[in-house]
Amino acid sequence: MIIAMLLLLSALSAQSQEPLAAELDQVARTATAMVDGDVARGIQTKRSVEMMLKENPRDRWAGADNYDVDHGAYIATKKTLIRLSRLCTTDCDVNLWLPVTGKPDRVHVVIRNVHEMSQFWKWGDLDQPMPAEMKTVLETGRRQTVRRRETMVSVLAPVYDSLGDIVGLVEVVASTKPNAQENVQ
Amino acid sequence: MVALPPALRFRGRRLIFRRFPLVCVLFLLGQALAADLAVLPAHIRSDPFGQVVDADRAAKVQPAASIELTSAREAYASCRLLVSSAQPATYSLSVSGPLEASLYREWFHYLPRSKRYYPDALVPTPVSVRAALPAPDNRVEGQTTQSYWLDLRIPASVRPGAYTVDAVLEAGGVKTSLPIRIQVLDAVVPAEDPIVIDHNSYGSSWLLTQYPELAARVKDFYLSDAFFDLIHAYHRIFYEHRGIYHQLGYGHGGKTGPEFAPRLEGTGKNKHVADWTLYDKHYGPLFDGSAFAGTHRGAKPIPFVYLPVNPEWPASFLWWGQPGYEREFVNVMGEMEAHFREKGWVQTNFELFFNHKKRYKAFDWDGDETRFLHDLPYFAEYQRLMKLAIPKDSPVKWVFRTDASWQMERQFALQAGVINMWVVGGGMIAWYAENVPVLKSRGDIVWTYGGTPRIDEPSSHITKDLLGPWMLGADGFVRWQTVSPGPDPWFKSAGGGETLVYPGGRFGFDAPLASARLKLQRNALQDLALLNSYRDAVTLPVLRAEVAKRYNGTSPSDWRQPRPALADTDPLTWDNASIGDALREGPRFATGLDAAAWDRVSAYVQTLAKEHRP
Repeated sequence: MIIAMLLLLSALSAQSQEPLAAELDQVARTATAMVDGDVARGIQTKRSVEMMLKENPRDRWAGADNYDVDHGAYIATKKTLIRLSRLCTTDCDVNLWLPVTGKPDRVHVVIRNVHEMSQFWKWGDLDQPMPAEMKTVLETGRRQTVRRRETMVSVLAPVYDSLGDIVGLVEVVASTKPNAQENVQ
Repeated sequence: MVALPPALRFRGRRLIFRRFPLVCVLFLLGQALAADLAVLPAHIRSDPFGQVVDADRAAKVQPAASIELTSAREAYASCRLLVSSAQPATYSLSVSGPLEASLYREWFHYLPRSKRYYPDALVPTPVSVRAALPAPDNRVEGQTTQSYWLDLRIPASVRPGAYTVDAVLEAGGVKTSLPIRIQVLDAVVPAEDPIVIDHNSYGSSWLLTQYPELAARVKDFYLSDAFFDLIHAYHRIFYEHRGIYHQLGYGHGGKTGPEFAPRLEGTGKNKHVADWTLYDKHYGPLFDGSAFAGTHRGAKPIPFVYLPVNPEWPASFLWWGQPGYEREFVNVMGEMEAHFREKGWVQTNFELFFNHKKRYKAFDWDGDETRFLHDLPYFAEYQRLMKLAIPKDSPVKWVFRTDASWQMERQFALQAGVINMWVVGGGMIAWYAENVPVLKSRGDIVWTYGGTPRIDEPSSHITKDLLGPWMLGADGFVRWQTVSPGPDPWFKSAGGGETLVYPGGRFGFDAPLASARLKLQRNALQDLALLNSYRDAVTLPVLRAEVAKRYNGTSPSDWRQPRPALADTDPLTWDNASIGDALREGPRFATGLDAAAWDRVSAYVQTLAKEHRP
């Protein structure tokens, strides 16, 4: 009985998120067209990538302390993501995710935005295991709608470079219960 | 019941039992009927079984049947009263005398890491209290001792001389009296502290977590008077303990909380402040001082506050590097300046401060602890924008603050004239100590930063953080997080290294409770303020030398570190391990620093106060 109720509640919750999911899907589709994969791939500096991949046995924070980006590539891409988020009729973020160079089973968020929403990012992680939904997007190019958290909807969409290869993805994410105090810290 | 002489009470107990078994049986019967009252100096803590806690034992102090305190005026004198009973008992404890007394029950926190109990949170109680031992709510199995923190306030109006305050314990029909003798000196502790102790925090969402009952009682908690009263209560508790309080009002991605920034409308040239209501409700009483009305220290404006400015506020990062960014920034900051001026909020330093780090992926440069020199031009750009926004004759105080570590020495040079408030790593600045007077000579403010000693460290360790900056000639110290007691501070304490206050809801208070560490810090600040007042009569070098000697057997030079070879290499080659190697503190600053370290400094200050009468 309880399980049936939970399933019903879950179904109702998903249903209530449908208009939001549809809107995010439109933004995600646009993002695929707008985000430049060649520029995105150049955001993290070569030195930073090397430091992230190299384990420092005496300092677990060495990768984070040496995290660095190319200002021009970062700013250009972030501005595109902000413009995309303005297509949403509610507060949303458009995050950029890229696979970790040389570690196809890992992924890292490269650009986050003002509300700091994400269903995938664990606070402070420089990189993390590749979620199955992201793997699907990177392998197939198909957009994925994700409801891992009860009050959040994300749509994942591929980012292409000039050769037509998928180099990363965007996470267009919004909350069904916005909280003005959340992530102010 | 007459208390045993302290020398017999603990270590001697087993020996006495062997020699005089009949006497001891009678004595234990007496204990079953009654309870015992003893006293410890403030810097020595008891566990719930009447033993001095491990961390404070090196000071070799045991509970006693009386105590003598010495204090200057406009200050607090403190001690710890211990009620002990071998058997469960109810008792009443009262404190009476010619001085204003405040009594607090000490909560014993269980630390799973060491499987030990330590007192820290102070629960306010009436000065005449009835209670039970064991304390039912503290749930310490086999508890035989309850500790109380006693604060005696000695205002400037008190006549110097000898006073006695009596603590009286009544249990099982037996009264025990314990005299607390206080010698009040002529000297008056100055109102201003030579070292500003700042207690930092982040956002407001933790208030809902820590005060769920309050949040459930009021409608729209984050908009309610109760919410703003609670924020002000945090400011008050730190202020009353000679500290200040900071609440950062934006996230790493630039989201500002509605209580931390005025609501904005429009974009580009039309961007403007639309509503000051919540901002003014939050900050108005802090900037005009009315939030502190009725406190012992008086209604004064807060001296420092974070601005909500970040790369995403008030200007959208969408326009960074374009005319729209400058226009949005200048429009809104100009309005803020005008608002502050009109309100007369001209005593607080408004800090332009960036807390974001690029590792958190929301911006492309480090605002906090800048690692890469190629990020520094961003600071210069914000200085340019501020100059455009703020009239030259603005009476409002603006400071540009940065928190520096890796590159601090280079930043001191490269950002001269841009940054005028430096908050620098408390360890690393010891390598570059010669820079402190240079920065101050150009009018900059210099604070150091660091953490907070855990409750299972010797009680004196909290004082190292105010003595260190004073030894270097800095102006303040920031404790980076001071309101986060962890998920279960009451029964599974993580050590309290990120808090100096506790949520009072458990005890019916919609306000924070002070910790014993906060009070020890306050008492040390009192001493330091008085000590510093003798800088002309005795000279700072002499004061520093005498204090260092008494505190931990060091000299002032030991508080600076010789410049390590690492400092002359590129900071981009450093890691935390190499910094740790170069920073390594001697035992006199760590394991060898006993609980009585500050007590020896305090005694020196009292000697000075007697020698240099006002």
